[in-house]
Amino acid sequence: MGNFLELLTSTLTQGFLYALLAYGIYITYKILDFPDLTVDGSFPLGAAVTAVLLTNGANPYLTLLAAVAVGALAGLATGLIHVCLKVRDLLAGIITTTALFSLNLQIAGSNLTVERAVETIFTAPPTMALFGGMTLLYRKLVVSFLLVLLLKLLLDLYFKTKNGLLLRAVGDNETLVTTLAKNKGTVKVLGLVIANALVALSGCVVCQEQRSFSATMGTGQMVFGLAAVIIGTTVFRKLSFVKGTTAVVAGSVLYKGCIQLAILAGLPANLLKLVTAVLFLVILILGNLQKSGVKQHA
Amino acid sequence: MKKILSALLTAVMIFSLAACGSTSSGNEETSSEAGTSTETVSESEAETPSTKYLIGICQYGEHASLDNCREGFLQGLLDSGLLTEDDFEIDYQNAGFDDAITTQIAQSFSAENVTLMCAIATPAATACYAAAEDKDIPVIFTAITDPVAANLDSGNVTGTSDKLPVEAQLDLIRTLQPDADVIGIVYTSSEPNSVSAIAEYEAKAGDYGFTIESIGVTAQSEVTQAVDTLISKGVDCFSNLTDNNVVGVLASMLEKTNEAGIPVYGSEVEQVKLGCVAAAGIDYYQLGIQTGIMAAKVLTGETTCEDLPFETISEYGIYINSAALSEMSITVPEEVMQKAVEASES
Repeated sequence: MGNFLELLTSTLTQGFLYALLAYGIYITYKILDFPDLTVDGSFPLGAAVTAVLLTNGANPYLTLLAAVAVGALAGLATGLIHVCLKVRDLLAGIITTTALFSLNLQIAGSNLTVERAVETIFTAPPTMALFGGMTLLYRKLVVSFLLVLLLKLLLDLYFKTKNGLLLRAVGDNETLVTTLAKNKGTVKVLGLVIANALVALSGCVVCQEQRSFSATMGTGQMVFGLAAVIIGTTVFRKLSFVKGTTAVVAGSVLYKGCIQLAILAGLPANLLKLVTAVLFLVILILGNLQKSGVKQHA
Repeated sequence: MKKILSALLTAVMIFSLAACGSTSSGNEETSSEAGTSTETVSESEAETPSTKYLIGICQYGEHASLDNCREGFLQGLLDSGLLTEDDFEIDYQNAGFDDAITTQIAQSFSAENVTLMCAIATPAATACYAAAEDKDIPVIFTAITDPVAANLDSGNVTGTSDKLPVEAQLDLIRTLQPDADVIGIVYTSSEPNSVSAIAEYEAKAGDYGFTIESIGVTAQSEVTQAVDTLISKGVDCFSNLTDNNVVGVLASMLEKTNEAGIPVYGSEVEQVKLGCVAAAGIDYYQLGIQTGIMAAKVLTGETTCEDLPFETISEYGIYINSAALSEMSITVPEEVMQKAVEASES
């Protein structure tokens, strides 16, 4: 069973690392109802900044803050393009992502590896002092879990504040926000800033975990995030005590679990994506079955 | 209650499926799992050659050259004499050019306690090297142009580089097209292999009396536009790198260049088969064999990755496509003809 445990550990770790990105998409897609394509650019942006900082000897914990800051700027760019320049939501994200692709290449080149000797948040002294007794594999799980938990609690708190409620109101009913004498544009920009800060943070920890940045690592992250959010919220749709943020983490873990299953299935390597797609479909169908079952009883 | 039950059921199903998968792969190597650290495993195996090695091959994506690498690697293991197919087992995974999946494949290899990881292409190598950190599993890579730039030149990792013989290619173009001035190159600005090759082309072109007109693209869909632009700039020929995006749309590139009457030089045998006029390039199958032999040395404990520096291909070949050459009315001088290998498909 040692193998299974290890595999479960690394899959959970992946799920947690990418859950930070899924939080971001949860805010834009599920709460703000804003299809934010900035993600494919802000994710590698966080990784690029992290890789460059780490190779130049920066404190690994500070790179988390740096990634949050640059991610927030990326979100701000999309928000301002959309709100001030009146560019449509999808296009605003596309513009920022396209620009970020070049920017990422400028920052970190096409590929940058962080050597084993360089400390990451998983190997730096403060982490080692707390969890030094574990092997790297389990340390990665614990650190990523703590990060996800911390941000989940922060987000849950934030959604209860006045500002957080406004964010939800913009997604549900824009007119209401206007009648409250609040500027819906400002709220949207704020949502995008928070979301992309989270996405870049995810890029930062993923970069530290796999010790490398590649310019193409952002491709398809938007699709992953959407799938994670939809899988998570579908599976837990009727469990009202499960918060959206928790559902999103579960969605991310399920997504990575499906890929892991497809890898394990031992089918021809080219069928990997097909197997993954079938697994997603099964999960979504199961989620929908729940819903119709409830209707029959009602 | 029903909903909670079905949600739980989903979770149980998924995890039990995962358990099935991992136990089946686990059985394969429990026999070879002698100790916790891989080093002790390989030492004990050197004494008892009957134990099976489990080799995880992580290939970045489906691609003719990378496939050749993999097949060559397997041949190299057999060629090294010490091993027959009964001595090793292969877990081959293909990531479909997805970086996140590459990471997961590498981590599943680590969980399986593979004896050695073989990584094909740079993203696969960085992912495998990161996943192997915990257990210090040796990683053998191939099809990486610049292992030094990728920080893969030290540690428990080694392999082969597919660095292009740029000078040989420039020499070949000069011989076949004595009047040519400008070489057009389309490359992907995010592919590390292409970026370092372009730098070398630009540094060496002057020595052979060429200037380079290059266009960097970010996606496969932009390649044909870049080709059109270079044709309109009046380049005398095109030279390809081992660039995945460009090679992926080589057929439509050749359609345009043939219409314009501009010859295209490839960088390896597969491109010449598809219709490039000629190439001074590497044979990825040979590169794979070289890699497989290195892997065998590490597996048997003859040497370690630390003591085995990465290798570049020892020989390059000259490949020609006679049909394409005659269409461009290029005559091949006798001395080149003697060295060249005909690589046309027909």
